[in-house]
Amino acid sequence: MIKVLDFFDYARSESPWMVHFCSGCCSLEMAAAMGPRYDWERYGYLPTPTPRQADVIFITGLVSKKILPVLLRTYAQMAEPSYVVALGACAFDGGPYNDSMSVIKNVTEILPADVFIAGCPPRPEAIISGLEELKAKIKRGEPSSASQGGLWKEMKF
Amino acid sequence: MIEDFREYKKNWLVGKVESSELLEVVKKVKEEYRTLITISPTDFLERIELNYFFTDLESKKSLWLKTDISRENSKIESISHIFGGANWHEREAFSTFGVDFIGHPNLKHIIISSDFYGKAPFRKDFDIEAHQKEVEKHSLDIASNFEDEFSENSDTETTLNWGPTHPASGPLRLKVGVDGEEIKKVSADIGFVWRALENLIERKDFVGAITAVERICFMDNTNSMLCYAMAVEEIAGVKPTPFAEVFRVILGEVGRVSSHFMGIGGFFGTMGLHTLQMWAMDSREYFLDFLEDYSGARIATASIEAGGVRFPLNLETLNTLEKAIEYYESKRDEFHSIFLKNPMMKKRASQIGIISADEVHEFSMAGVVARASGVETDIRKDEPYSAYEKFDFKVVTKNGGSAKNRFEVIFEEIDESVKILKQAVSDIRSGVSEGTYNLEKDHLVKVPKKLPKGEAVSRVEWARGELMMHLVTEEKGKTPYRLKIKAPSFNHTMMVEKLLEGCTISDIPIVFGSMYICQGDLDR
Ligand code: SF4
Repeated sequence: MIKVLDFFDYARSESPWMVHFCSGCCSLEMAAAMGPRYDWERYGYLPTPTPRQADVIFITGLVSKKILPVLLRTYAQMAEPSYVVALGACAFDGGPYNDSMSVIKNVTEILPADVFIAGCPPRPEAIISGLEELKAKIKRGEPSSASQGGLWKEMKF
Repeated sequence: MIEDFREYKKNWLVGKVESSELLEVVKKVKEEYRTLITISPTDFLERIELNYFFTDLESKKSLWLKTDISRENSKIESISHIFGGANWHEREAFSTFGVDFIGHPNLKHIIISSDFYGKAPFRKDFDIEAHQKEVEKHSLDIASNFEDEFSENSDTETTLNWGPTHPASGPLRLKVGVDGEEIKKVSADIGFVWRALENLIERKDFVGAITAVERICFMDNTNSMLCYAMAVEEIAGVKPTPFAEVFRVILGEVGRVSSHFMGIGGFFGTMGLHTLQMWAMDSREYFLDFLEDYSGARIATASIEAGGVRFPLNLETLNTLEKAIEYYESKRDEFHSIFLKNPMMKKRASQIGIISADEVHEFSMAGVVARASGVETDIRKDEPYSAYEKFDFKVVTKNGGSAKNRFEVIFEEIDESVKILKQAVSDIRSGVSEGTYNLEKDHLVKVPKKLPKGEAVSRVEWARGELMMHLVTEEKGKTPYRLKIKAPSFNHTMMVEKLLEGCTISDIPIVFGSMYICQGDLDR
């Protein structure tokens, strides 16, 4: 039995599927990482339109108050184990919109991220290297951070 | 009726009216100016000044009307039955400044999130800190509203939510009322990427505001910086050097080209043809290489500021640009033969999303959308800025106004931009060899940190249409007192509501994709 589980973990780690969700300008660079020059499919990543089949969700930078419940619901729709990757300065502390009245500054307190990718926007290379990091985490068999805690568990959405 | 009526700049008139007489004046205005650009309120603490901007896309003349209303009793007659395009602009002013438009058919809040309803967040006395203290409660409220809203369905009609996580929608939701396949009613729910930029900018200095301005939309960010820089220069009374003007054209056109590539890719992607998306992204990379060579960043370049362009130019950088142009031109014919003549595109896109020329005027369409309906409007020609007068290019127009026509316009505009880029590159090269341009010094002239009191309106042709900014400054002001940003996607999304009625569900992505909407400039 243990062998079979290992195999699934291995398979998952080599082909993480990503749900399509964009909320900020970082998604442009994410698109570039999908594009022909950087082509993240070489590494086994694939965007999918439905959360039901996805393993990873990207917080693409900025999360406004209005889109927060959308993010959380999309995340909750994903089958376990589901990982979170946070892109850009905005996902960290609001970035350039830090003192804006409509932006959530602590997204990753609400939905903890497994990997942070720095930049504004992060370069496609950085995004791919961040995803490699995620692969390593999955291979180690660690549970996703969001399943371990975060304010999202107490929220209704 | 109009007081203090005078010329503001070429083809622009400005005047002041009494708020009680506004409606009558506007009725007369309509005879000469057929389009409303935007409505921009400014809060002067003792009064609210409303600025109405009108234009006529054919005669190229524009008019700016000011009127004062009191803060406590901020009411004014709605003009949305005269100018159809005013509908959402009035709703925006109602949401952000709490101005009550009497007689508006549907005066509901728009853009702002529900915790700001009725609080007029852009007024100067709005206490942001106090509001932010309760951010947790607000987030919870919004989340539970969200739950209620998504479960609304009546017995007779089904409501489909198209977005905000649909792969083609981006962060925007169309509430589509359907009867079987047929669409009965569409209403757009926007504001998912609202960053309150207009307000955020009031807390930054004139240089720092650039980071906010360029983030209006990252697909074409150079032109938005240019628009802002022009407004600041007008108030400061500074003129950039001829070299900087030409180089701004280059940056602007590179921004346009890379945005158009995303646009055509997105349009075909919505039809399920991802090949073009990939090809377009491929060509786009080479143009981003140029931006990176020049500024160090692929997208967030922050390369245009008041007084010129930020960095001196190294002539070798232009080689990267020439390489990008060469690469595109080697691919161009393939693009055309496979996608422009694509039978699937012709079949699916030529009958839907049709906008007539009259609707363009009435509902303030701009840019690509207006030109695809045969209205020849292009700010680069109508009110030439930077060095556009020096260069030879044509305004691409199509008759028909369908989704397919819009796609063709975007496609052909890339060629025109490339034409401009080539001329500008050779202009810089010859200018340097003749010694008229000094690359070390010419890129930037100094602009004072504190600006005098003033007001300026600047317009540029953005990739998606006209971008207009209305900047107000105070005496010795270190920060903008008010910056109103009018961006094209706002009206275009309003139009999507109308276009989709009577279509079928499968038409939604194509019509939406053809309107070339960016959620960044929709919400700001
Ligand atoms: S980090 Fe920068 S690029 Fe990313 S969403 Fe925030 S502002 Fe946009």
